[in-house]
Amino acid sequence: MKRVDIDPITRLEGHGKISIFINDEGSVENAYLQIPELRGFEKFVEGVPIEEVSRIVPRICGVCPAAHHMAAGKAADAVYNVDIPPVAKKLRELYYMAHFIHSHAAHFYALAAPDFVLGPDAPKAQRNVLGLIDKVGLEIGREVLRQRAISQDIQILVGGRATHPVWNIPGGVTRALSVESRDKVKGWAAEQVQFAEFSLKLFNDVVLSNKKYLDLIMGDVFEQVTNYMGLVDENNRVNFYQGQVRVVDTTGQEIIRYSESQYLDHVAEHVEPYSYLKYPYLKERGWNGFVEGQGTSLYQANPLPRLNAADGMATPKAQAEYEKMFETVGGKPCHKLLVNHWARLVEVLYAAERMEELINDEEITDPHVRVIPSTTPREGVGIVEAPRGTLTHHYWTDENGIVTKANLIVGTTNNNASISMAIKKVAQNLIKPGGEVSDGLLNTVEMAFRLYDPCFSCATHSLPGQMPLTVEIKNTAGETLNRISR
Amino acid sequence: MKTIILGLGNTVLGDDGVGVYVARLLRGCMDETVAVREAELAGLDLMEMLNGYDRAVIIDAILLEGEDPGTVFRLRPDDMKISPRLASCHDIDLVTALALGKRLRFHMPREVVVYAVQGEDVLTLREGCLPAVERVMAPLAEEIAGFLRGVPCERISIDLAERKSGSA
Repeated sequence: MKRVDIDPITRLEGHGKISIFINDEGSVENAYLQIPELRGFEKFVEGVPIEEVSRIVPRICGVCPAAHHMAAGKAADAVYNVDIPPVAKKLRELYYMAHFIHSHAAHFYALAAPDFVLGPDAPKAQRNVLGLIDKVGLEIGREVLRQRAISQDIQILVGGRATHPVWNIPGGVTRALSVESRDKVKGWAAEQVQFAEFSLKLFNDVVLSNKKYLDLIMGDVFEQVTNYMGLVDENNRVNFYQGQVRVVDTTGQEIIRYSESQYLDHVAEHVEPYSYLKYPYLKERGWNGFVEGQGTSLYQANPLPRLNAADGMATPKAQAEYEKMFETVGGKPCHKLLVNHWARLVEVLYAAERMEELINDEEITDPHVRVIPSTTPREGVGIVEAPRGTLTHHYWTDENGIVTKANLIVGTTNNNASISMAIKKVAQNLIKPGGEVSDGLLNTVEMAFRLYDPCFSCATHSLPGQMPLTVEIKNTAGETLNRISR
Repeated sequence: MKTIILGLGNTVLGDDGVGVYVARLLRGCMDETVAVREAELAGLDLMEMLNGYDRAVIIDAILLEGEDPGTVFRLRPDDMKISPRLASCHDIDLVTALALGKRLRFHMPREVVVYAVQGEDVLTLREGCLPAVERVMAPLAEEIAGFLRGVPCERISIDLAERKSGSA
């Protein structure tokens, strides 16, 4: 058996590797993605007061600090069994909408758009954010960055900080929103709605009206049929901050619905001997392998899965885009993986509209932002939708609120099996019997895992090391026969 | 000339925090033309932080195969000719960030020097660096201070091109 290794991570040599196994006939037998995982989280938070945990967890991930802050904050409320004041919920949600816009916009413009605006076949040197700027113009480039900065500034104004928030405490948040800050955010929120609409229009003009791109999106290579997971409100509309977790099957039928504290009854994690990675699956169905199709125990959690798992969006403009999207792609649920990019933009519009609703809520400047917990702490679970999937934080404490145990299921982890399967399908399509590796392999594999916006390492910065993308073809004896890299 | 010293890293991930610790050693030792900042950021955020400076010194952790922990490499952006976006999976890399800033007509530093310290463990949640990395922090801070003041001083860093095991 041959083994093809693709190493997409530069910072951690030897980690974050894609291995493609080729059998003696030269066909792809399997593909796995390995992601570097942080160790020792349980031990690190052991002995820490639960109220400090929400201030520590944003430091484990600079890509989605707000998501960890929210999940840990909600878990701490649950540990103290406290229902936070309505305005505290609204402020947290407001903050979180700005985070979603910030994260999704960076992914779309810096990482996803170059493949579509310049085309997947464009020369490598142009198919990046610089080429994108050349194509769409400096003004649009500047405006994207300005809007991204605004979403950052909203987080700072509402929650004090964007990267390392210290604002959630058991029972609510540490400060109320002043009238001056509210007025400032009002203007910004309106701009963010326009920005979201502009982004969808750009997607429409550049991607959807180009038959070649539409064919790529609707083709069989980027298709995967699984169950879908997402948080929904009482009307089954998408919600990022609160609600129940709903899972629909491959036909769109609701099969599971659970509240935060019940997650262990429904989600289990499978471990393979070759990897330290965990592969979550639906417990009721039992692990039935890396298979897709009706009956699979696998689910995906990401923008498109969230939209698949819900009945619609809770805001009017996003709802219209939601309907248009599913109509264009042939109905719901949609199994075409690249549609995640479109779904991500529908979510940006929802986040912006929701932000506008919240900032115009008369109660938003109410000073009553916290209730003091009065019960003995024990155990609590907090679930939010992170930009890259359902995020679960679970803590156990002693009677003084000191953490004794912790369990996290992070956004990308939900999709571990799905990412490996997507890469396998792409590889099967591009590596033909005989073992010839096509030139398009690297970029197509990149497109396959990029659509998940995976959080490979919770380490937040990234000083490049060596090869960013290397394919090694090995024979059964482990000798390297060929090596492609860039 | 306005200079920024930027310590990058995560202070709860062991050796990953080395850039932040070295920046802290330099804080207070430099004159008013030198800003000292620390961050846990990459890509687009980095571009915004570097905007407005003529010169930048970035300190970070690195993991190269076969190197001893505590080895300090000195890099220029040209040493990091890599994929234009995969350095971090969710963001653009430093080279692209600098190029993008220039394209957008931001005031990006003309000179960028990166000091990268080989880490031993950057995946275990832990505060503080391991001894091999801890040991080089003070001498590295001195080297950077000397470099910025234009004073000859003892170098502990080696240029990436001199790396014994070859390419990067």
